[in-house]
Amino acid sequence: MKNTFLTSSTRRSPLLEALSLKGSKSKNSLLRKDLAIALPLTSLIDAFSIIVIYLLIGTQNSGVESELSGNLKLPQATHSQAVEKKFAVLRIEQGTYFLNDQVVPKKLLTEKLSELKRNTMEQNKKQNITQDIELMVQADTEMKYADLDPLLRAGSQAGIEKLKFAVVPRP
Amino acid sequence: MSNKELNFEINILPILDILSVLICFLLLTAVWIQISTIDTKQAIGDNSLSNGKNPPSLWVTLESDGAIQLSLRDLPKTTQAKVRLESRLAKTGKGIDWTALESKLSDLKKNIPELKTGIVHPGAQSAYGDVIKIMDQLKQNQIEGVGLSPLG
Repeated sequence: MKNTFLTSSTRRSPLLEALSLKGSKSKNSLLRKDLAIALPLTSLIDAFSIIVIYLLIGTQNSGVESELSGNLKLPQATHSQAVEKKFAVLRIEQGTYFLNDQVVPKKLLTEKLSELKRNTMEQNKKQNITQDIELMVQADTEMKYADLDPLLRAGSQAGIEKLKFAVVPRP
Repeated sequence: MSNKELNFEINILPILDILSVLICFLLLTAVWIQISTIDTKQAIGDNSLSNGKNPPSLWVTLESDGAIQLSLRDLPKTTQAKVRLESRLAKTGKGIDWTALESKLSDLKKNIPELKTGIVHPGAQSAYGDVIKIMDQLKQNQIEGVGLSPLG
């Protein structure tokens, strides 16, 4: 037989012997039969391990994904609650208020929040949910309190009792 | 050249191994931004003016110079004798003295276990990050009912 690349590069593989379940045989029989029937178990195991790792990380981060503006640097906190459902989000960026990504002028904050509360209560009533409205506030850590104050007053006047301040959990 | 000579397999197992290791590496080093919240329950309407007996509360006032004023309110008379009702924590070179605040809160909670309400009263120029950090410290010391006071 002519000495080709294939014949010269083939070597006895312990892995193939293990997969073939036939033990070690002659070189020729391994190449002809065992290569054909051996399942690619290693690649399957690899794929499964990746899925497992992905799921492990995914389940640790069980919170609801929230969109966050790139301009905001949220404050950090140690004693915080995980976000488990979607809330109405009020974002404050450089003195501008965004209620669910819609710009709201400062003067209309109370009106818009009252409207939000009314709509949420109606929806909850249809679904027989007795939970009160909760508002998530997203603001930059460097923001002055004077920019948050109008929201507190508007929330109080609109009857929104529960405010949730978005933070990044400190490890 | 015969067909047999051309028909050889590329060993893909090492490639798969390298790929899987790379994917794992990327997954583990990726930045997972997770948002959580600090919850507050604000007074609405004229709740705060009700004539019912208020629970003991701690008011944390952020002064314009960076100092912190701590005031205890609505304490039972028996407890009032044990603790100082007013105390002031001067600012450090870096701003608010977080270590002093932490130890003060810890002492207060030790002396007044029934203290479960904290109100943060910042100034107009107080940083939002500092306000959140104070609320976080209150919650760490089992003062769970935290609220924010409006300006004025």
